[in-house]
Parts: sequence; C-alpha cells; structure tokens
Amino acid sequence: MSAIVTITDVVKEYSLGATVVQALRGVSLTVDKGEFISIAGPSGSGKTTLLNLIGCVDTATRGVVEVAGKNTANMSERELTNLRLNTIGFIFQSFNLVSVLTVFQNVEFPLLLQNKLNAKERKERVESLLEQVGLLTHLKHRPNELSGGQRQRVAIARALVTDPLIVLADEPTANLDSETGQAILDLMRSLNQKKGTTFIFSTHDHRVMRYANAVVRIADGKVKGRESPQEAVAHEMELGPDPTLSTEVRAS
Amino acid sequence: MIDRGVLLVRIAVRNLLASPINLLIGGLILLGTLVFVLLGGLLDSLNQAMQRSVVGSLAGHIQIYSASSKDELALFGQMGNFPDLPAINDFPKIQDALTKVENVKMVVPMGISAAIITSGNIVDVTLEKLRNLYKARDGQPSDPKLSGVPREELVLRIESEIAHLRQIIKVLRGDVEKAMADMVNTKSVEPRNVEALARVEQPAFWADFDQAPYENLEFLENRIAPIVTDTSLVFLRYVGTDLDKFQKSFDRMRIIKGSPVPQGQRGFLIADLMHEDQMKLKTARRLDKVKDARLNGRLIATDDELKRFVKENRHQTRELVLQLDGLKTAALVKSLQALLATKETSIDVLLSQLLDTTDENFEERYAQFYELVVPQVQLYRVKVGDMLTIKAFTKSGYVQNVNVKVYGTFAFTGLEKSPLAGATNLMDLMSFRELFGYLTSDKAEELKEIQRATGAKAVSRENAEAELFGEDAEVVAEATPGVIDPDAALAGTGRKLREEDLIRRVYTQQHLDDGVVLHAAVMLEDPSRIDEAIARINQVSQEQHLGIQAVSWQKASGILGQIINVFRALLFVAVGIIFIAAMLIMYLSVLMATLQRTQLFGTMRAIGAQRGLILSMVLIESLVLGLLFGGLGMLAGWGVLAAIATTGIAAPNDVMYFFFSGPRLIPQLSTWPLVVALVIILVVTIGSTLLPALMAMRVSPLRAMQADE
Ligand SMILES: Nc1ncnc2c1ncn2[C@@H]1O[C@H](COP(=O)(O)OP(=O)(O)O)[C@@H](O)[C@H]1O
Ligand SMILES: [Mg+2]
Repeated sequence: MSAIVTITDVVKEYSLGATVVQALRGVSLTVDKGEFISIAGPSGSGKTTLLNLIGCVDTATRGVVEVAGKNTANMSERELTNLRLNTIGFIFQSFNLVSVLTVFQNVEFPLLLQNKLNAKERKERVESLLEQVGLLTHLKHRPNELSGGQRQRVAIARALVTDPLIVLADEPTANLDSETGQAILDLMRSLNQKKGTTFIFSTHDHRVMRYANAVVRIADGKVKGRESPQEAVAHEMELGPDPTLSTEVRAS
Repeated sequence: MIDRGVLLVRIAVRNLLASPINLLIGGLILLGTLVFVLLGGLLDSLNQAMQRSVVGSLAGHIQIYSASSKDELALFGQMGNFPDLPAINDFPKIQDALTKVENVKMVVPMGISAAIITSGNIVDVTLEKLRNLYKARDGQPSDPKLSGVPREELVLRIESEIAHLRQIIKVLRGDVEKAMADMVNTKSVEPRNVEALARVEQPAFWADFDQAPYENLEFLENRIAPIVTDTSLVFLRYVGTDLDKFQKSFDRMRIIKGSPVPQGQRGFLIADLMHEDQMKLKTARRLDKVKDARLNGRLIATDDELKRFVKENRHQTRELVLQLDGLKTAALVKSLQALLATKETSIDVLLSQLLDTTDENFEERYAQFYELVVPQVQLYRVKVGDMLTIKAFTKSGYVQNVNVKVYGTFAFTGLEKSPLAGATNLMDLMSFRELFGYLTSDKAEELKEIQRATGAKAVSRENAEAELFGEDAEVVAEATPGVIDPDAALAGTGRKLREEDLIRRVYTQQHLDDGVVLHAAVMLEDPSRIDEAIARINQVSQEQHLGIQAVSWQKASGILGQIINVFRALLFVAVGIIFIAAMLIMYLSVLMATLQRTQLFGTMRAIGAQRGLILSMVLIESLVLGLLFGGLGMLAGWGVLAAIATTGIAAPNDVMYFFFSGPRLIPQLSTWPLVVALVIILVVTIGSTLLPALMAMRVSPLRAMQADE
C-alpha cells in the first residue's frame, strides 16, 4: 500500500493577538491510498485543523505535510489551489452548495474550474455522479428545494466529480439526523469501495466511527493512536459520550 | 473559458435577481444613461446647429485677431458693446503664412463696427424743397434740377408742398393734444411751441404765406421743425470685409434684394431681416407679419398678437400721413374714397378704414395697400441704390465720412428669420479701413496727390460738409468712434473729390489685402480638426512673429458660443449626481453582499477556484447590472432621439432659428454620447465594486470550513 498522505511532526499554531493557540502539537500520521479513515476526537481536539492541512487550505507552522507526494510547505497559493482542484474533494459539515445554482450546476462547477472536459463530457460525468448518489431526478433543483441529506449527496457528487485521489469530509453528518447520516456514510463507503478513492472524515460521534477501516484518535492536538473502529468505540465509551472542550491556551 | 464566463454571468444574474436593492441601483443607472444620451444628443445637435449658424454666418471656423488685444473677440456681443481690438498690421504676411497651414482653406479679413442711422427731419426736408421751389419760381434756381421747369408747374408743386406742411402740422397738433392729455412729452407741450403751432394753424398764416415766403419758411424752420420728434434711430452693426471672399467662404449667404457689390468695388449690403424689421414702413411690416402668420394658420379673430397688429395699423397712420404731400394726399383720398365707397375726406380716417383688416378681407386689403398707398410713400427708409454716408468720430473730434452705396440686402439660408444672424451688415474693406482711419497705401498716395492739386485753395469745412449732405446723401449714419489718425485725414473739397472718385473706383485684390484689418475668419477644409488647426496657427504666429491669436468659432462668438458649454456643464452635473448616487448605493450594496457571502467565496476557493475567479465574479455581477440597465437607458435615450429626429423640434421663436440653424432642429444620432455613457457605466460599476471585489478575492478557503455565522 502506498501512502497518499504523510504527516510528520506537524505543529499548527494560531496567533490571536498576544496569545498563541497550539491546535496541533506534533502530529504524525500516514494515510494509505484507498483507506476509509476516520479522525475521531472531542470538540476542539484539532480534527478540523488536521483536515485543513491535509486539504491544503492551510499550511503547517512546523513539520512536513505531504499530499499526493508533494510537500505543501513549499507551494504557492496558486499551486495549492490547483492541487486542491485536481487531487482533493471536499465535503463540508454545512454542505456549502452554491445556493443560486442548480444541483447540476453545483456538481459541474469543479469541472468548469478544471476546464478539461467539453460540455457533453461534463454532462455525462455530472449525470453519472448524480446517478450514483441517487439524485438524477433532481438535476434542476436548487439547494433550498432539497433536504439536508439530499444536499450532502449533491456535495458528495461535487467532491467526486473530478475523480480526486482524496476526499475530505469534516464532520459530514453533524448537521444530519442519525438515520440520514448513516445513509450518507453508507454512500461514501460504497463509493470508496467501488472507486478506491481515499476518504478521510472527522467525527466525534462513535456511531459514525464504526464505518471506518481505521480510526485515528486525536485529543488536545495530539494523535492518541491508530485503532480499529471497535477499539475506538470502546475507548470512546470509557471517556464518556461527549467530552468537554479541553484546549490548552498558553502565553507565547 | 467561455463556459466559465457563462457560469459567472449566470451566477451574477441570479444574485442580482435575489436582491431588490439592485432594482434601485439599476433604475438610477437607467435614468442617468437615458438623461445623458438623450440630452447629450440634443445638446450635441444643438451645438452642431449653432456651429453651422455661427460658422456659416460670420465667424468661420476660426477667428484670428491681435495677440496684444486686451478685449476678447465677441462677434455676437451685446449691441453697442464692441471689443476694442488693436489692428492686425501686416495682413498679407499673415494671410500668406496661414494659407500654408495644413487644413486652412481661406482667410477672410474683417473688421467689426457699428453706426446709427438717423433719417432726416421730415419738416427740414420739406422746407428745403419749398425753398428751392420758391427760388426757382423767382428766377434764381439753386437746384439745377428745377431750372427749366415751367412756372405753372412750380406753383403747383409749391401748393402741394404747402399742403404737405399743413398736414404735418396737423399731425403735430395731434401729438401736442395727446401729450397734453397724458402729460408726457414735455417738449411739445412747451407754451412757446404751443403758441407757434397755434400761429401756423391759422388759415391766415397760409393765406399770406406767399407775401413773404422766405421769412415764413424761416419761422417754420426755427420754430416748428425742432418740435418734430421724428428721430427713430437704427443701430447698424457692420462687418468690413473682403466681400468677394466673404461670399465665397460663407456659402449660405445669398442676395435677397438688389445685387452683390461688384467685385473690388466699395459698397454696403444690409441684412435683409434688419431691412425688413427696422427700415421698412411699420404699417407695411405689420401687414407682412399678419400675412405670414395667417399662412401659418393663425387668425386675426383669435390671435392676440395679430389683433394688436391690426389695431396698431388702424391707429398709427401718422407715419404714412407725414410722408404725404398735398398732391399725393389728394390722389390717395380720391382712390380710397372709391375703394371704400365712402365720402370721408380725412386721409387719417380713410387709411384707418383701409387698415381695419379682418380674416375675411385681409388678402384684399393687403394687396390694395401695396397697390394704392405704397407707391405714394417711401417703403424703406434705406433703399437699394441709396448712398449711405457713414460718419466716424475720432478721439480728437474730427469727423471722418465715408459714402457707400447700398447694393442690396442679404440673408443666410435657413437663418432668414434669425435676429442674431440678421443683425450684422456688410461693408467693403476699403470703406471700413477709412472709417477706422487706417491709411491704405492707395489712400496715402492719393492724399499727396490731392494736397498738391488743392493745396493753395482754402475751402471752409462747413461748405464742404454742406455739399456732402446734399441730394446724394439722404441718409447719414454715425459710426462709433474709430481710431483715426488725424494727420492722415483729409480736409475740405479735396475729400469730396476723392470720395466721389472712390465710390466708382475698382480695387484690385492687392489693394484689399494690403493694409490693416481687425480680425479675420479662417475657413477650414476639415472642421473636425479645428483644435489642431488653432494650435498650429498659434504656433505659426509665434514662430513668424505674426502677433495674432486664434480662437474657435465658439470662443469668438462670445457669450453665445458659451451657452452650449453651460448647458453641457449643467447636464454633466445632473448626470454626475445621478451616477454618484448610483455609485454610492452600489458600493454599499456590493459591500454588504460580499460580507454576507464570505462562506461562498471560501468554499469556491477551497474546491479549487483561483482568486481571480472570485474577483471577476463580483465585478461581473456589477457589470451585468450596469450594462443591463445602462443598455436599456441608452436604448431608451437613443429611441427618443430617433423619434424626435423624424419630425425635429420646431423653433419656438425667431431667436431659436439661430440656435437651430433653421426652422427645425433635427437631432443628429451621433455615437459619442453612447460611447461616453458606456465609459461612465464602466467607471461607475467597476469603481463602486473594485474594493468589495478585492475583499472577496482575499477571503481564505478556510472560511469554507467554519460554520455559517
Ligand atoms: N483560526 C483559528 N484561530 C485560533 N484558534 C483556532 C482557529 N481554528 C481552530 N482554533 C483552535 O484550535 C483548536 C483546535 O480546533 P479545531 O481543529 O477546530 O478542533 P475540532 O475540529 O476538533 O473541534 C481549538 O482550541 C480551536 O479553538
Ligand atoms: Mg471541527
């Protein structure tokens, strides 16, 4: 198995005026191609920060982040954007669809940015994706005419339409009821199995962790270990269902 | 690339539809563009029409005048208020230099000045005639025309002139009574005058007239003539110019009455409108106006102005009666009695009846007036063929006289009714120079010649003047003071001889070119490159020390040319306010929209949109709004203009003829207002959006991950 994401001794600091917040404190992690991996941890533990680094929307303060074999530290804004466009698909907690565009147009958007396919090819590609997420009948709908689950399906289609190597999903089910959330995870896993696309998703919900091949547990900006879903759920139970925020704030 | 553009436009349109404030912004942009295109187009047309008027009637495309002038050249300045222009000294050199400048077609020398025409006192003229007749009767004729006329005829004519005098006195009596009634005219109410009038009203005075005709004539001359207040002045503005060149350059000019001044000769051309308006018999002029109005569908019965004209014609017969001597009066009374089938004997009443016109009888009466009355009177105070004596006073009080023959009247095609275009008369350049006291080489030569010939003879100035004001000089015009070099002036008989000769003299082109002018019109081949030509002329003047400055027709026309610029400035201010309002609202609205949509921008950035795309997206949104509504505004403005252009705008009055360059203003559908409007829209939209768009561009993709606030 080849590594698609390699993170070594990464520290991420946020400075808030005179204070510095350490969101990640020396994280190392390897994700292999085709994995369906969950990053689990309580709120404020650094999940989103880690996904942002992997997703190339942010860069590490120290340490090395390698995505698809490229060290993101040395890349320009423009190169990072291109890397995101061509290698990574994003699924957001609040779906983040373009409200004035139809379902079809939302899914087509990354293809237009790539500017590789002609209109016919784009149409085929978008429709095939929408068929896979079960929304071929809703091509002309606007996001506000859809339910939360349907919107997230559109977001999944949009994330996968460029055939990326990695799909990142930051708490994809947090805004959905559990039944719908499970359906979304089922869909994601089936796509992972069918296409071999690497999925990395974060959650603090143990019901969600169960879907993963592996769970990376994170707390206070540090990786606590890489476990099987069963181990992780067991750990989660010990710690309690919903731990309170435990971020450390230090003076710089 | 195109697909991406389509997508951005699609997003833009959808976003625009989402927010009702865009309708307000769009409405303002539409209004601003509509106003700009419509009024801008109209002003442009007006400017072009006025340019045709100004350029075509007097100014030419460019005017040149002395660089050392303190006053600005104002060709259409207020009456009597003339720029004091220093002379341009070496016109031939200037002309030579300027015609070599690219784009210059012709240089027409000019000088502008004014005179006042006072017609002779009617009593004086009649008394003079009587005196000559008496002298002839008594066998010592002073008027050569009267020698050889049989005695009986002379007696008859004397009677006729006496009847004329008595008629004049009757009119004066009427004036006095009227003045006494409203206590205005104190001059004629003076007891001394009343007494004199009373005396000459006595039949006895006239019965005994023949006993001592010369004494009685003297009494009339001393006591009655001064009472007559028949001093209507005509202000005569004229341009001294090379008439041939003028006519060639100003091709809208055409002769209405008479003929052009023969090539190279001295002469005067009267603006036809002025001739009609101010020199024609008022009664006749009013009849003409009524006729004209009726042709335009107006009726005496319903039109207040026409009613007033008829009333004035009925009451103001004085002007006609004053002109009628005994013979003429008798003849006219007879024919009017027959015409009107009445036994009325008073010429006053008869004329009043004839002129009591209605819509029913107008055509008939009009023809009858011209047929019966006009041949008995002088229809125009100055006629074609008359000799005008124009006097100019030097600063030292010396009078310079120039006699010029009136060859005809002229008008500019399309501007026949414009008082502005019809206010300037034309004089030949040689006469003009003399009036101004500038010595031509021709004149200098002559001066020596005459001084040699007449040197010994001392002729009193009064005599010479008196001779000058004889039969030939019926009309005397007084010019505004010119700058005359007293040393160069001629005196006495010499001048008279010279002037008679000068009138007949034909000048060569060299004569005309040689000498002083005050300003000159420059005609261009391509008027659109006028600014360039002005710059080049000014440059040539500098290089060759010509001492002139060039200004555009617009500047040269004085306040008139600036009117359009004032209107244009007002338009720009009004449109500016509208667009500034649009810009402010647009800025705030785009700023709000940007702040509300940071997550959208962040998301787009996260899934791979470059910064430039976000920037274009926001800009395109505003551009679509601006171009959509601006385009509608342009279309609407252009549409209204085109609709107006099918019929044109009728000139509301005669003054507007000049601005409209004819009876109607047909708007030109020029493209510049559209181009400027487009530029304004781009500036407004991009200007108001750039800052928010740059903010949007800088939104971090991280913003996509954060929960929506
Ligand atoms: N932009 C930021 N500025 C300052 N502190 C931040 C920022 N983003 C995250 N943090 C802090 O970093 C820590 C990790 O946050 P995050 O990665 O969002 O945790 P999680 O996603 O696991 O809830 C938290 O303490 C959070 O307050
Ligand atoms: Mg988070």
